[in-house]
Order: sequence, then C-alpha cells, then structure tokens
Amino acid sequence: MKVIAVIPAYFEGSRIAHVIHEVKPFVDEVVVVDDGSTDITTKTAKEAGAIVFRHAVNRGQGAALRTGTEAALRLGADCIIHLDADGQHDSAAIPLFLKEIEAGSEVVFGSRFLGAEAIGMPKHRRYVLALAKTFNRFALGISSQVTDPQSGYRAMTAQAARTIDFRQDRMAHCSEILRLVTRSSLRWKEIPTTVRYTEDTLAKGQKATDAFVIVWQLILGAFQR
Amino acid sequence: MIIQFLLTLIALAGFALVWRRASQGVLSRIESISWSLLWIAGTIIVWQPEVASRLARLVGVGRGVDVITYLVLAFVCILLFQAFLAIDRLERKLTDLVRADALRDLAPKE
Repeated sequence: MKVIAVIPAYFEGSRIAHVIHEVKPFVDEVVVVDDGSTDITTKTAKEAGAIVFRHAVNRGQGAALRTGTEAALRLGADCIIHLDADGQHDSAAIPLFLKEIEAGSEVVFGSRFLGAEAIGMPKHRRYVLALAKTFNRFALGISSQVTDPQSGYRAMTAQAARTIDFRQDRMAHCSEILRLVTRSSLRWKEIPTTVRYTEDTLAKGQKATDAFVIVWQLILGAFQR
Repeated sequence: MIIQFLLTLIALAGFALVWRRASQGVLSRIESISWSLLWIAGTIIVWQPEVASRLARLVGVGRGVDVITYLVLAFVCILLFQAFLAIDRLERKLTDLVRADALRDLAPKE
C-alpha cells in the first residue's frame, strides 16, 4: 500500500522541515502544497525531501489540501494522510490510521475527544468546538457519533479521496469533509489522537471568531451546487 | 407632483435598460420580467400611494411607507447575498486555475 502524506503549508519555512522529518518514516512520500507563501517554505520542504507543489496565490488550507490530494492520487497513492504543517499533529499516530484503513475503514478521522489528551488546548477552544459540534449536527446533518467537529488529521483510501468532492477553499473544509463522509456510504471511523498546542501554533491557528466565518462559508457553499 | 414625474422617469429609464440588457443577452427572460414588474410596481405606487397603504393593512405593518421600506430592505439583502455568491463562484474558479497551474507538470492518472 503506497501511503502519501499531504501537508498544506503557508509561511511555514521555520517549521515545515521538522514536520516532514517526523512524518517521513511512516509514509512512502510527503506532498507539501505551498499555498502562496513568499518565505522559504518551498525551498525548505524540498530540501527536507518532500514533493512540493506551489499555489501561485494564497487560496486557503482547504484548497491546498485538495491540490495535495489530487497530486497524491496522480502519484499513485493507495492511502492519503492529511495533516497540518505546524507540528500540532502527532505523526506517531500514522500507523494507527493505517491499521484502521487496513482493517476496512475508508476514512479515518483523528479526534481530540476520545481519550487522548490535547496538550495545551485553551479552555475557550473546547467550548467553541462543543458549539461547532452542535451546529454540525443540526445545521449540517453530521452524525452525532462524530466527536471532533474540526479535525484536520485524517486518512482516506484513494477511492474515498476520489469520492469526497470537497470544495471549501478555506477553514470550512473540515466540516464539509465530515458532512460528505458521514452522509455517504463510506465506512468511516474516529481514533484518538494527541494534538499539541503551543504559543506559536495558537498565534497562527484558528481563533474563536473564525467560527462565524466558517458558518458563513458553509452557507455560501450550500448555494453553490 | 415633481417628485412623481422624476421617479416615473427613473422607472422608465430602469425599464428601458432592463430590456436593452435583455436584448444583449445579459439578462435572462425571467430576470427581465422580474425587474420589469418591479419598475411597474414602483411606478404604480408613486401615482397611487394608497395601494401601498392597502398592502400595509393587509400584512398588518401599519403605514404604506413602512411596508415599502421593509420590501426594499429585503430586496437589498437578496441582492447583496447574490453578490457574495458571485464572488464565491469567482473565488472557486480562481482556485481551479491556481490548482491546474500547480499540478501542470503532473499528468492526470487514469
């Protein structure tokens, strides 16, 4: 089984090499999509051994993930892993994702709420995620079995990746992917994963107010098909 | 009286512009008819304000001018939302172009 990790990156010149080195032992290839950064992200990622694709202009994390997913499919991936470029996701969990894929799951989501402790997660983030879970359930019809409404750490088979037609370019892609997967006939599962929050990642990561932006993006997206 | 003529002239200009754009293929038939009905309704209310008052009483708003204000507000909100949707469509097309450019050296897999 050829496993390719897809990492969207935007101004991650200082962190991307470390993430690539951590992920590489668990996968066959690492695809990095530089989402229009003007720093050394592309150069650093190439030097660290990743296959790099570059967006000429910034299009958002969802758009970069989709570009990376399409690239992985063209490179012959049997299994695709999505993870963040800031080092929040614990790469040691990749074998656990692969084990579930080999056991028959077509999509596996990492969850911060299944027992594995999220390190350094601010309390207000928990409340926002609880609200997001309620919103996902009632407004988007996402199964109540989903414990993490905004998980960016996931694995999927190539066939599932071809089926999941996510079109949200920016932050709303997590909810969109969850909706598409849980409302389809794809076999999916959540597994506990550890997420490490640091001052650095929190400064660049999502803010509580981004929840409103995500809702607005999902409303616009609902009228686009 | 002057304001009524002025508003009628504006409505006529709007009406003419709608059908000019329709003949140029910019507006669809349904859009053209909808816009025309809007301009005609506006002209009727300018000359027969009691129509708006009757409508206001019918929906329980109170004054005719209030019901017009609410309708205009709803109309502006719809237009604004349409504009947001158009921007979102353009953004998605831009993403498709950026993606095609990023993957240009990677042949599509059968």
